[in-house]
Amino acid sequence: MDIATLIQTISNSIVAGSVYAIIAVGLAMAFGVMKMANFAHGEFFMAGAYVVYVFYALFGWPFPAAVLMAIPIVGAMGVATERLIFLPTRGNVLAGFMATAGLAFILQVLVGQTWGVGLMRSVPTPYMGAADILGANIGWQRLLIIPTAFAMLGLLWFFLYHVKAGKALRACAQDPETARLQGIKINRMTMLAMAISGASAGLAGALMAPIHPVTPYMGHGVILTAFIVVILGGMESIAGAVLAAVLLGFIHTFVTTVSDAIVAQMVGVAFMAIVLVVRPQGLLGRVKA
Amino acid sequence: MLSLKDIWIHYGMVAAVKDVSIDVAEGEIVTLIGANGAGKTTTLRAISGLHAPTRGDIVFRGKSISGMTPEQINALGIAMVPEGRRVFPYMTVMENLEMGAYLRTDRTQTRKTLEEIFHHFPVLRERNRQLAGTLSGGQQQMLAIGRALMSEPDLLLLDEPSLGLAPIMIQEIAKIISQLHALGRTIVLVEQNARLALRLAQHGYVMETGQIVLHGVAEELRHNEQVQKTYLGA
Repeated sequence: MDIATLIQTISNSIVAGSVYAIIAVGLAMAFGVMKMANFAHGEFFMAGAYVVYVFYALFGWPFPAAVLMAIPIVGAMGVATERLIFLPTRGNVLAGFMATAGLAFILQVLVGQTWGVGLMRSVPTPYMGAADILGANIGWQRLLIIPTAFAMLGLLWFFLYHVKAGKALRACAQDPETARLQGIKINRMTMLAMAISGASAGLAGALMAPIHPVTPYMGHGVILTAFIVVILGGMESIAGAVLAAVLLGFIHTFVTTVSDAIVAQMVGVAFMAIVLVVRPQGLLGRVKA
Repeated sequence: MLSLKDIWIHYGMVAAVKDVSIDVAEGEIVTLIGANGAGKTTTLRAISGLHAPTRGDIVFRGKSISGMTPEQINALGIAMVPEGRRVFPYMTVMENLEMGAYLRTDRTQTRKTLEEIFHHFPVLRERNRQLAGTLSGGQQQMLAIGRALMSEPDLLLLDEPSLGLAPIMIQEIAKIISQLHALGRTIVLVEQNARLALRLAQHGYVMETGQIVLHGVAEELRHNEQVQKTYLGA
């Protein structure tokens, strides 16, 4: 591997890690507060990409405006999912799984019926050109994802550690019953967690729309990776999810470069399995007392 | 101030609390003693809204609170220190205290409450940036009590505050409870340590298999032959 390929691969790894991080943090956060996994999280990602397709490619809005639209729209989908699925099935993990897996299919078909299946929707690249770093070409469109991920994770961290509602969210994740005894309305908190979760998946999908095939089924691959990241990081740990996302971004990109994407998935899962043998709670997971 | 009127609580088909009536007057400590599984904790959890009574009524300050959510009951001025302390382990001492004051909006008053709590528990001030899960059992109990006090509750519910603590810590917690009483706080204390509980309280209720079998002035219960034999090991 020459120096240009190496730099190319490293930068691609960081981009992939950033996207994984945005997606997985939302999944980890929803799981932390509700103790239920959202199997339609990949379809939230897909919805974010379609928001950009509709507003930017079809309506001709500026790209940043279309990306910003994905945040409230998919965030609202998160809230609706919480009200209509997670609230009625709270505490029943199997029912939550069945219902959100069903929702995933419903969203896929809905989008397929509306905008078509088969032909991928083409979203033109708004930021042409590439940065030339020591012979490696890194598209601006990809590079843009890195600062966006930093900004989004920084905002989330600030919210969770310096804003009262964010701290209440952490309290609910650690001990929901005791949080209620402090007057923290648990139903508001699960709604908030799902809003953030949906918004972050939507943002990731929106950013990926110009550089990833936009199809109704694009959430499939994403949800698998997101679960690997969350399990690897330690289920409820936000910091763990970020760390695991970066690690997996490097593993996937490097293995894909020297071999292919299927092998990369296998190596990623094998890495998770090995980590879980050594640390069953995940990289930064907490052992329940 | 608080009265439980003939309440029943069921877990499925099993009645855990049967026809229990308790009265708590303003400014007093009322204790609920009894063996493990007698229904003490269930009764306390019903007051805080974590269990809804299947029959009977709970009245606080003239208003029925049975069937309300824990969030609503906390807002009315009832704070509970749950069994096993239940501090938020991955939050700092300071953040735990902030969560106790979650519903308060008066910043300067809240600040004053915080100062009072730090005055009661100087160790919490020293360790305010430490994660609560890294405190010792006794310190966690102090934090759990401090957190409950942060809402300036009219009624404080304490569930087994002495459980699992070293004898010297138990004396420390007992001292704090009597200080709170001296300051006019109303407290319902659930304890397996009957000796301690009857020393602190003015009135006592003895529970056995979900029922109140005896109640009266704490001082008299201490000298009751039955209580001495069963709970005080005399």
